Amino acid sequence: MKKTQFMEIGGGKGFYGLLAVLGAVIVAGLGAFFYMEHTGHWVTGMDNQIVWGAPHVFAIFLIVAASGALNVASIGTVFGKKIYQPLARMSALLAIALLIGGLTVLVLDLGRPDRLIVAMTYYNFKSIFAWNIILYNGFLALVAVYIWTMLDPTVKKFYKLAGFAAFVWRLILTTGTGSIFGWLVARQAYDAAIFAPMFIVMSFSFGLAVFLLVMMATYNWTDRPLGDAVVRRLKNLLGVFIAGVLFFVMVYHLTNLYATEHHGVQAFILRDGGVFTQAFWIGQILLGSLLPLALLYHPATGNSRLWIGVASALVIVGGFAQLSVILIGGQAYPLVLFPGYEVSSSFYDGVVNSYSPSLPELVLGFSGIGIAMAMMVVGMKVLRLAPASLADEAVDPHHK
Amino acid sequence: MKRLRQLLSMAILALTLSAPAFAGEGGRTFLPSIPAAKGEQCVEDTADMRRNHMKYLQHHRDEAMHQGIRTEKHSLKACLECHAPVEGNMAAGGKEAEGHFCVNCHVYAGVTLDCFECHATKPETTAQFHPLVSPATAALKAADRTDSAELLNRLVGVTENKTGVAHE
Amino acid sequence: MSEHKQPDLARREFLGRGAVAAAAGMALAPGVMLYGVAHAKPADQPASSKVRWGMLVDTTKCSNGCNACVDACNKEHGLGNEQHSRPEQRTQYIRKVELRHKFTGATHSLPVMCQHCEKPPCVDVCPTGASFKRADGIVLVDRHICIGCRYCMMACPYKARSFVHEALTDQRPHTPRGKGCVESCTMCVHRVDEGREPACVEACAADGSHAIIFGDLNDPNSEIAQRVKTYASSEIRADLGLNTGVRYQGI
Repeated sequence: MKKTQFMEIGGGKGFYGLLAVLGAVIVAGLGAFFYMEHTGHWVTGMDNQIVWGAPHVFAIFLIVAASGALNVASIGTVFGKKIYQPLARMSALLAIALLIGGLTVLVLDLGRPDRLIVAMTYYNFKSIFAWNIILYNGFLALVAVYIWTMLDPTVKKFYKLAGFAAFVWRLILTTGTGSIFGWLVARQAYDAAIFAPMFIVMSFSFGLAVFLLVMMATYNWTDRPLGDAVVRRLKNLLGVFIAGVLFFVMVYHLTNLYATEHHGVQAFILRDGGVFTQAFWIGQILLGSLLPLALLYHPATGNSRLWIGVASALVIVGGFAQLSVILIGGQAYPLVLFPGYEVSSSFYDGVVNSYSPSLPELVLGFSGIGIAMAMMVVGMKVLRLAPASLADEAVDPHHK
Repeated sequence: MKRLRQLLSMAILALTLSAPAFAGEGGRTFLPSIPAAKGEQCVEDTADMRRNHMKYLQHHRDEAMHQGIRTEKHSLKACLECHAPVEGNMAAGGKEAEGHFCVNCHVYAGVTLDCFECHATKPETTAQFHPLVSPATAALKAADRTDSAELLNRLVGVTENKTGVAHE
Repeated sequence: MSEHKQPDLARREFLGRGAVAAAAGMALAPGVMLYGVAHAKPADQPASSKVRWGMLVDTTKCSNGCNACVDACNKEHGLGNEQHSRPEQRTQYIRKVELRHKFTGATHSLPVMCQHCEKPPCVDVCPTGASFKRADGIVLVDRHICIGCRYCMMACPYKARSFVHEALTDQRPHTPRGKGCVESCTMCVHRVDEGREPACVEACAADGSHAIIFGDLNDPNSEIAQRVKTYASSEIRADLGLNTGVRYQGI
């Protein structure tokens, strides 16, 4: 195997056209942000019952996918799989880009985003949210150092160490993200330790799906060779991760179905929840899990780049459906203050809450994706991150 | 990119050069309108207050919020009692042109002030009394605030204590 | 029940704006009796951890359709001044909840507000420490450092918190509130620090229901301490072990 050559991408009309589109998405997102902050959150679909809405679904998807996007690099560095090593730089950059995109959305939805400095200077160390602020910043720093050790031969001796540290850190980070929900004792849908490992497997799946799409798009648009060896490896791995998520989702629901206390919320999500039930069965399970599994492993579609791309996109759609069910479905189901009683009040006690996202919320959410992709495009333009060739003979040590 | 940078630097230069023209227009110096305050003397020297009022306020705010120490000196509410009295500027359709003591000066100094996004900009006309006191307060309605407090104290048979009339 | 069995407690008078409390009962007008809660804390002293402020709601005295506590709370804190917010977005510190048991058909009516937990989940999850518990057990939001993340609203088992969805004006001087921060029942801390009772308690008594009593749970001589010692009372979601400052009798 030859030493991998890395080259900057872009510079053509298509490159700047893509940047312009992404720039427009980001500008629209900023506009949505200023509008919501100036008028107040009353213009959003969120209220005192559904306190976290579409922006949080986008933000948490991006944050979860960010840690998962680093996996490709980790498999190469930590587990020594040679075929993944050329992909490590792109993988690490994608991790940073997605995290910044997600955090931007999260921060711009705060009631007082002008007080971001407060979030950085006042810490309540019992809060998993406060820990996450440290975990996110640490992740960005560690992955940046990790990229540095890959780019600069003078610090190459720290490459393994940085890769290992980033891998451990990302596992802790996703544990923290899952625990935002797992540690909420108040609500019926949360309060379950399984959220932490489930979010880790979700990150594997979502992150790899995003990586696959970004990689295939990059190599397609830059006319660089991309061999089947890399694509086949990654798509098989994606299938394993999808099955892993399905397993955790099944255990979560079965456990709760066993406990009478949780029958109400389970019936709501699985049977009676209307849009949330549809999002679960159609969005998350059918479109987001079973269909991509079939596409990835069926001989007719499993070797087609197009269908692998479709499967990856479906995993992302399923991921959004899953996070919508967890976040918004979990809040839509009323808090149980008085078990055994029918309750009513002026504050919507006992009422299934409804939520429909407003346009600015969605625009803000999409701008997070825009920010991540723009960072990716610019990053690959200014730094040598993308291998000149991912053809089979360039990446596969056993290629004949 | 290069052209963009040139344009930007030209714009900045143009603004910088024209700034004295804006400021010196007509040879006037704009001063903030400072509505007169009640009373003779502030809780600290004027010079000290000008420089340090935000420190006093923040110190008081943290103690009041977290520990419930509600002394009057350095409390924002007490500031407003004198500096934004109800019978003065903002309220009752009075000399509205005078504006608000804090706001006017902060606008003049170009310092963002977000106290009043949450805090009331002025004291209330009458204090909140126990609902059961309302027959008594109704009788006092005509009198002004100081008198009403004195009158109420007389009514319940105590004299004003040393710390003065406590705020709500 | 306990309507007529009031422990013989020294009650003190409410005396208007901050005058010192005298000892004996006093009639302001015929049939109108003024009383407040025990000891007003001196203004320059911090809240003491020897005190645990609490409320006891006797649901047997709380009637369906009576909204006196809610109205008093709204008035006291200047709530309901939103111009644009949808009903689902408006702030409520206290609400009346009507209960009907699915099996027995038993009905209850009771107010629910911030329960002022000893171990409040909102305080645990707040990233900046804006949600905090005072030494005397009152749970508050420091709006100066609240960033509006709403995690406390996710964490509160009682749905006691509201987010301010728009810019507000004409706040009451003792209850600053504004856009982008989370807020909830303050147990009328501004009154408590003056030795007065929370507005809801006062209004409930004025309405003749006397369903809510307020006092120091740590003071064995207080009416509330004696009542919770004598009669069975419960917490909402006692399973969470939060040791709430607001307790209920009759459910």
